[in-house]
Amino acid sequence: MTDAPDRRIPLTLLGGFLGSGKTTWLRHQLHHGKMTDAIIIVNEAADVPVDDMLLFKATDIRVLSGGCACCDGRAGLLALLRDICDQRVDTSYDGARHEHIVLETSGLADPGPIVDAIRSDPVLLHHIVVHEIIVVVDALHGLRYLRSEPLGRRQIETADRLVITKVDAADEKELKQLRATLEIINPAAALSGSVMGSAATLPEVGDARAEPLPALDGGIEVPIIATTVRLEPGADWTAFGMWLSALLHARGDDIVRVKGIVQTPSGRLLLQSVRKVVQSPEILPDHVTARKNDNCIVFIGKGFRPDDLGRSLKRFAGLGVVAKAEVE
Amino acid sequence: MCANCGFPAAPGHWTEAGADLSSDRLQARFRRASLLRAVLRKHGLTAHDDGSTPGITISTQTGNHEIVPDLAAVWAVAERMSGRPVDPLGPEYVGDDLPPTTCHRLPRGEAAE
Repeated sequence: MTDAPDRRIPLTLLGGFLGSGKTTWLRHQLHHGKMTDAIIIVNEAADVPVDDMLLFKATDIRVLSGGCACCDGRAGLLALLRDICDQRVDTSYDGARHEHIVLETSGLADPGPIVDAIRSDPVLLHHIVVHEIIVVVDALHGLRYLRSEPLGRRQIETADRLVITKVDAADEKELKQLRATLEIINPAAALSGSVMGSAATLPEVGDARAEPLPALDGGIEVPIIATTVRLEPGADWTAFGMWLSALLHARGDDIVRVKGIVQTPSGRLLLQSVRKVVQSPEILPDHVTARKNDNCIVFIGKGFRPDDLGRSLKRFAGLGVVAKAEVE
Repeated sequence: MCANCGFPAAPGHWTEAGADLSSDRLQARFRRASLLRAVLRKHGLTAHDDGSTPGITISTQTGNHEIVPDLAAVWAVAERMSGRPVDPLGPEYVGDDLPPTTCHRLPRGEAAE
């Protein structure tokens, strides 16, 4: 009996909690020529995708929006993977044939059920092999969501490789404690550090002790929802900034992620926040992605009703929204 | 750290990224102060920006005041000075009944969309 080479397409699954830095990490890899030959699948829980436009260096990118690939979007993911496999074996197909798949999951996805679904599919089983699960962990907020979010822990438990992102933003003591905690949750995973996608040195654990994480099973898990608000054209950025800064100050522990593109006199601004931290908006060139989703802002979090955001924008800042908020 | 794999970021505080030209920036500062006054009035506070001195001045009715650098800093100071948080998701902003001050301007139902 000979060991035949495995000709299945390797799939790298890139996961991590909301705002942990998955897209930033992947964007950097693509910028440096890694994974550029891969087909990139971007999964977003919200209806309005944002992350795909940041991965413009990818040669082939597919978007699965409007549901997590581990649950609501699972059927869509399996159908897409089957299409990719069909194209690979179709001799008449004249498009690009990719020998690597990278799946960037939504921040609300549990990698475990995704891997199970691929391995359980009678067709995909023979065409795709899950090569590696990379989970990124936010140095700034990681310990916080490990304390409160069972999903955050499950993501880490599934990883072959853990990348701690935003290493420069956390103090060393907290970083050591996070590292010690991750080594307890998943001692088998390789561990590395990153700043904006570039490799960064992690401090040794030393005498730091792992965070004593409370048991979370059995409690009522407050669901995290994704809501999209579409601002009226010509929305006033100053009023919007006033509203959002107040919102994040008051509710930043519950509103985990905000992202979207807002048209302003100084250009199309890519807005992104993680809890109370708002990134300096990137100015998007006009040619990057269609404008149909401009002024659509995605809010992911808990502790509010979907309609609340539109009402609050109107009453607090005098801003109108043009579409009814949706829950994903 | 890599600064090459993304798009250029708008300089300054993120809340000020919507204005590029100096005339637009000045206009945005006055607009910001006006919007803040409307919100902070309900908390017994007022805001002032003369357009030339850096920062925003937050004052109480008794004359106490504090200068803050940007919008993000306003809310912590307002909370401390007034003794209660400014919460855009508080009942006055998301409740089913519109507050009396805006009731005449907003037809019922429109605000909830």
